[in-house]
Amino acid sequence: MPDESRLATADRPLVFAPKPSRAPPSSAIGPIAWMRANLFSSVSNALLTLLGAYIVIVVFAAIINWALVDAVWEASNRRECLDKVGRAGACWPGVIAWIPNLLYGLYPKDQVWRINAAFLMLVVWALPLWLPGVRSKLAIGLSAVLLYPFPASYFFHGGEQDLLWTALIALGLAAFAWVWLTTFSERFTGLSFGAFVARVTGDAEQPEESARLRARIGYAVLYLAALALAAQWSLSEVPTRYWGGLFLTLVISGIGITFSLPAGVMLALGRRSHMPFISLCSTAFIELFRSVPLITILFMFNTMLPLFLPVGVEVNRLVRAIVAVCLFAAAYMAEIVRGGLQAILRGQYEAAAAVGLGFWQSTALVIMPQALRIMIPTIVGNFIGLFKDTTLVSIIGLFDLLSMARAVGEDTTWLGLFLEPFFFITLIYFVFCFLMSQYSLNLERRLGAGQRR
Amino acid sequence: MTAATQRSAAGASRTTSIVNDAFVRGVFYQLLTAAILVGGLWYLVSNTIENLSQRGMAAGFDFLGYSAGFNIVFTLIPYREGDSYLRVFQVGIANTLLVAAIGIVLATAIGLVMGLARLSTNWLIRNLARWYVEVLRNTPLLLQIIAWYFGFFNLLPVPRQSIEWGGTFFLNNRGFYFPAPVPQDGFGWTGVALGLGIVAAVAIHRWARRRLEATGRSFPSVLVGTGLVVLLPTATFLLTGSPLAWDIPALRGFNFRGGLSVPPTFCALIVALSIYTSCFIAEIVRAGIQSVSHGQTEAARALGVKPARIMRFVILPQALRVIVPPLISQYLNLTKNSSLAIAIGFPDLVSVWMNTSLNQSGRAIPIVAMTMGFYCAVSLTVSLLMNLYNRRVQITER
Repeated sequence: MPDESRLATADRPLVFAPKPSRAPPSSAIGPIAWMRANLFSSVSNALLTLLGAYIVIVVFAAIINWALVDAVWEASNRRECLDKVGRAGACWPGVIAWIPNLLYGLYPKDQVWRINAAFLMLVVWALPLWLPGVRSKLAIGLSAVLLYPFPASYFFHGGEQDLLWTALIALGLAAFAWVWLTTFSERFTGLSFGAFVARVTGDAEQPEESARLRARIGYAVLYLAALALAAQWSLSEVPTRYWGGLFLTLVISGIGITFSLPAGVMLALGRRSHMPFISLCSTAFIELFRSVPLITILFMFNTMLPLFLPVGVEVNRLVRAIVAVCLFAAAYMAEIVRGGLQAILRGQYEAAAAVGLGFWQSTALVIMPQALRIMIPTIVGNFIGLFKDTTLVSIIGLFDLLSMARAVGEDTTWLGLFLEPFFFITLIYFVFCFLMSQYSLNLERRLGAGQRR
Repeated sequence: MTAATQRSAAGASRTTSIVNDAFVRGVFYQLLTAAILVGGLWYLVSNTIENLSQRGMAAGFDFLGYSAGFNIVFTLIPYREGDSYLRVFQVGIANTLLVAAIGIVLATAIGLVMGLARLSTNWLIRNLARWYVEVLRNTPLLLQIIAWYFGFFNLLPVPRQSIEWGGTFFLNNRGFYFPAPVPQDGFGWTGVALGLGIVAAVAIHRWARRRLEATGRSFPSVLVGTGLVVLLPTATFLLTGSPLAWDIPALRGFNFRGGLSVPPTFCALIVALSIYTSCFIAEIVRAGIQSVSHGQTEAARALGVKPARIMRFVILPQALRVIVPPLISQYLNLTKNSSLAIAIGFPDLVSVWMNTSLNQSGRAIPIVAMTMGFYCAVSLTVSLLMNLYNRRVQITER
């Protein structure tokens, strides 16, 4: 029997209007439901949660009590600390007093500004890489890798400059100036520095030739100004035996990281080469350096490098360590790059060859960018490993961060103070490594965006 | 040779320049590399010879027979002060292998637990494991070794106030003391029983597997096998009258006598190495298990397979294929990292050989070559075995 309402609405079109959905039951949302799902889903899980909570509370309470609550912040020597709290609390004054040494080693205290200035310079140098609207990012990045070392090493080491050295430092300074000039001109006019100079000095109707010439003159003026500056620049010499602390750690790992990537790429190409002799040599080098511990390589270079060089040639201890670290890192990097190369499909090579690219062009423009992109997490992982491995140079007598931390406990004022400096430098190492790994994850996500479907 | 003539003849007939012939170029580059290498080697060797004669240093392996006049604080194989350098080398290798073996067992155990914990459905456990891995993986191993030594094992109480467990295990600033087993007459039978048990267990396992594949009927071979391996030796041991005595360490004066002991440097090294490596193993285990697609689990469940058997027969065999190669390379890393023992003075190969012996004898070249030779031999052997394994477990595609 048709009822009244049905009939009443019969001439109107029937539209399905769902009722608003009801709120989920309170047992399915909110913190309690979350805890029930993630912490107490079963009896065994609840027990595990309790065990985990117990561990967390005990560990954190112990660390916080030791490092903050019971810690001593003011004392003039370790005895005072021990008298106040014994071993129950940390004795931070020792670490605080040693912070300059932990950061800069035995570098003369009145010259420490040079290290700060050099690191600041690197930050300022690389800053445009993160600015929007800057187009010459590749050139800026390359200049930071290839040319920054010259002014930086003068900041660090100082001393006499010979002609070549002055020219190289000037090149670095000129590149630094160029980076910011081009950043400004690209952000505000959309033109690179050279084009900007050409635009300013002449009008746009003039032929291409003359514009290029004026851009070159602009570069030349920049270089000459840098040269004049570099020739004037004079810093007192700080021999490498005074280098130490976090500064030395960063120098060694920085050089290692910068060197290992290109060297690893070359070794990987060598190993995959069709030329049997080159492939054999690369393989032998890679396998040898990968199968022995880094410490044996450091020892080898430390004891054998003086034997390998002509009589009378002294090689600085730091250089020996850096050479060893670089070769070691290059061998590891080579295997990573090779892994990336193996993942590239044959079609890529064939396509590159089909459009007429030669070996180097196809490698640089087609193969490597893909191979390196696949391997970013592993490459950064290797950088992190290298950064941690630089601690080994303390064994062959360099004063890196770790050996400075050990030295705190051997200082007569703070005799036996080991845990606190170790705790402090653990934080430093952790922050550096963790940031690197997080940055790599971020980079991977951004670069992989185009690959994901 | 003939190929070369053919190639260059072909090149000439195509009237392209010989400079652009890939083969000629290849030969040229290789000759160039060889020339640079030979030149470099010649330079190094001639310098070395000159340096050696200048400093009055000798090369060669004759020093291996000389007596090494130093003592070694901890040796796995017998060594007395005055034994030959060759013996020192062997002592170093034995110590390194001991550290590596114990470290590998502990690191695998901790790593397995942590890797499974990272996959736990329990949020707290998952995150605890994650931060355990993150923190320990992101700090240098050398720092951890030194911190464990100077911050813990070196600060332990003196022997008189040892930390003890049941009056048999003692830990103090001289090291870790534990009972030494002293086999009596007839203990050999227990060993024989153990051997028989293992052989029987393997045989049963193989038979069960073959029967499973042929007929589909399963047999609890793991349970029975474990029972055999445990019960057979235990029964023999009890039947032959428990022929094993324990030499329990006891405090005499200022130090412990009897039993076995390892120095604090050993403890610090083992603890740091196994904890550090366990982080990497945890990540490998996690990645391996996650690499098995969820569809496999669902398919097995759809077929009505029980959860425990899904793990054993579906997930593990596939995960192991992903896990084993990086796991082995972590074992190799652990072995190589044991060389950091030198920082706290534990006498491993690098410490007694590349440091003490090198400084004493001055024979840099043979000593460096022997040390590197040992590590190379270990690495190459392991990677050889690895390749064999990979060939076996590789997915055979049609």
